[in-house]
Amino acid sequence: MMISMTGAYVLVAAVLLAGVIAVGLRWKNGRFTGATGPGESPVATLTPADLGAALGERATLVQFSSAFCSPCRATRVIVNDVAGRVEGVRAIEIDVESHLQLAEREKVMRTPTVFVLDATGRVVRRASGLPTRDQVLAAVADALGPSA
Amino acid sequence: MSTPVVDPRGLRFAAAITSAVLAIVLVTHSPVREVVLAGQLAVFAVGAVGSPSASPYGWLFRTLVRPRIGPPTHTEDSRPPQFAQLVGLVFTVVALVGFVTGATALGLVATALALVAALLNAATGFCLGCELYLTSRKLARVLN
Repeated sequence: MMISMTGAYVLVAAVLLAGVIAVGLRWKNGRFTGATGPGESPVATLTPADLGAALGERATLVQFSSAFCSPCRATRVIVNDVAGRVEGVRAIEIDVESHLQLAEREKVMRTPTVFVLDATGRVVRRASGLPTRDQVLAAVADALGPSA
Repeated sequence: MSTPVVDPRGLRFAAAITSAVLAIVLVTHSPVREVVLAGQLAVFAVGAVGSPSASPYGWLFRTLVRPRIGPPTHTEDSRPPQFAQLVGLVFTVVALVGFVTGATALGLVATALALVAALLNAATGFCLGCELYLTSRKLARVLN
């Protein structure tokens, strides 16, 4: 027998598993979720003291990054791009390891994680993993509210 | 540059070759499979200890591919991929020990897991070390 049949089955299973994980990651990365309507449990608010910087006039994009984070660079480019395009939106980047308490308080498990804050600093949307620019734009639109 | 960097396309190329090599390990019989696996183990060792660009697959990329596609538009920190090589090394050591001692199932599973990681990296740029980093740092703080 030229080929190991057991090995061939294991190979197929491994390829399928990789496929399932890839689909799962694609679904998860950049998916912005968050409390929307009234009557939901209180959401967190980030203050300028938390961030070490002022909030944006209308919204703030907060990117949590770390060392050892290949997707963080591309995320930074996208977040800065969106902040540059939309009036009154500021981008702030936070290194998780120098803001441990904040990261733990906000349950940041993964980098990059992007928060979208409204004008008062309330966390309206959050996503982990590398987002697309459209995903970030849509989340910012949510934070700006129906008047946007 | 304070951190060492690599051409990310070279990393994807190396991950693709790694995937092919590990697939060959899975479908061949002894002793071919152990020999091929030992070869991949050596490649992982070089990448983990030196840097990803020191690896033979990196050399292949620079010699065969890069002259045809020009310089990269951006570079990446080379430490996460270096860690990934270390993870690959651990898995291939376990796999080789499994095959050599007759624990074939262990050998196949460990090889398959390394293959999953290499495939994900080659196809999607998924960075296993990046995902594990925060958790491992948290663990390190808890243990200290």
